[in-house]
Amino acid sequence: MQIVIENLPFLLRGAYYTLLITVVSMFFGLIIGLLTAIARIRGNRVLRSIARGYVSIIRGTPPLVQIVIVYYGLVDYGIEFGPLTAAYIALSINIGAYVSEAFRGAIESVPKGQVEAALATGMTERQAMRRIIVPQAVRYAIPPLGNTFVGMLKETSLVSVIAVTELMRSAELLISQYYVYMPFYLAIAAMYWMMSTMFTFALHRVEKRLSVY
Amino acid sequence: MSMIEMKQVYKKFGDNEVLKDISLSIPAHQVVAVIGPSGSGKSTFLRCINGLETITEGSISVNGHEIHANTSPKALKKEIHAIRQETGMVFQQFNLYPHKTVAENVMEALLVVKKMSNEPAYQIASSLLAKVGLAEKENAYPSQLSGGQQQRVAIARALAMEPKLMLFDEPTSALDPELVGEVLKVMKSLAEDGMTMVIVTHEMKFAEEVADRILFMADGFIVEDAEPQAFFKNPQTERAQKFLQKVSEF
Repeated sequence: MQIVIENLPFLLRGAYYTLLITVVSMFFGLIIGLLTAIARIRGNRVLRSIARGYVSIIRGTPPLVQIVIVYYGLVDYGIEFGPLTAAYIALSINIGAYVSEAFRGAIESVPKGQVEAALATGMTERQAMRRIIVPQAVRYAIPPLGNTFVGMLKETSLVSVIAVTELMRSAELLISQYYVYMPFYLAIAAMYWMMSTMFTFALHRVEKRLSVY
Repeated sequence: MSMIEMKQVYKKFGDNEVLKDISLSIPAHQVVAVIGPSGSGKSTFLRCINGLETITEGSISVNGHEIHANTSPKALKKEIHAIRQETGMVFQQFNLYPHKTVAENVMEALLVVKKMSNEPAYQIASSLLAKVGLAEKENAYPSQLSGGQQQRVAIARALAMEPKLMLFDEPTSALDPELVGEVLKVMKSLAEDGMTMVIVTHEMKFAEEVADRILFMADGFIVEDAEPQAFFKNPQTERAQKFLQKVSEF
């Protein structure tokens, strides 16, 4: 316990990176996911199959493999990223696929009558999408997006393999210095758990606020 | 000039022919009730008029905007868009926007389609809501209203665009019996104001009393096209006789 407290600043710094990577990847993941969902629902055949292929490949391969491809694999072609940048890229692309599924499901769960009502008043499909469908879909999307976000928070531990000193790697560095395992593992487990719980709680608040009608 | 002109209209869903050889003309200010057994193509007939369904053969013209079965997709989009600007539609399930208040529901198309600013749009919404008897519900959300109130909001929403034609797709079929009257009353006053209306309905009494004309549909055909008195007293076809007998059985 003493040993953990002494090294708490170092672990907190790791937690900060974990949060940073989560938030940045989620931000770009949301953009990628939204575009992918729109491509899948409204795109032409080519766009649709590209989007479908992307989602299928990402969901069908381990995130660890995706991370090492971006960081180590691309070096073969002269493309080199710093560890943190590689982490952002790999995780954004990874999460984008899951986000797009969440959006697609949400958009499809808005009743068809809503579009028809909007079109019947003279709106274009784009206007109906923007004004009527998306605002309702966002609410349907929040629970699956929240799960994705919490999943991402935990998945960031994988980027420890490409030498990003986030929470997981911070613990490992301390372990290699002190030769004790359990206190550090338990400490970071507790920190992951606290971050996930805080986020889930915040999400419930948002959900409640959005369900006024 | 007629408001709606249909020539040899066919509509197929795959192999299933839902509308067959529909030709008719509906003059402005006429109130037309479309009745018939379920699955006879009534709703599809209505939805073809404002392009929610595209026709497979033939042509439809609404207030001079013409669509043919072979109109190019781009031109079709333009014509349908023009038709929808002049046509209001009321749905069986109301389809109010649940995330918007009653007033916002009515204002929405004014803001988005007509690009009006908030204040004049609100004025219009407010006076239409008064007209359907819901002035005090402006700030409520649809989920807080009864079915009958929701449907009256839906009528106000359709009227906001100042349509020349109103389409009603079984507007009272999803309502509890005691709420049907308030909706029919609003529709009747619209008819009295001279609105051109096409109403798919199961309310025979209402059809008889308010409509100028009855279209009886069965198996995708318009089987009878007559004045209400003639149709209800003296239906010409066996299909219509059987149908009327069935609906009056209890």
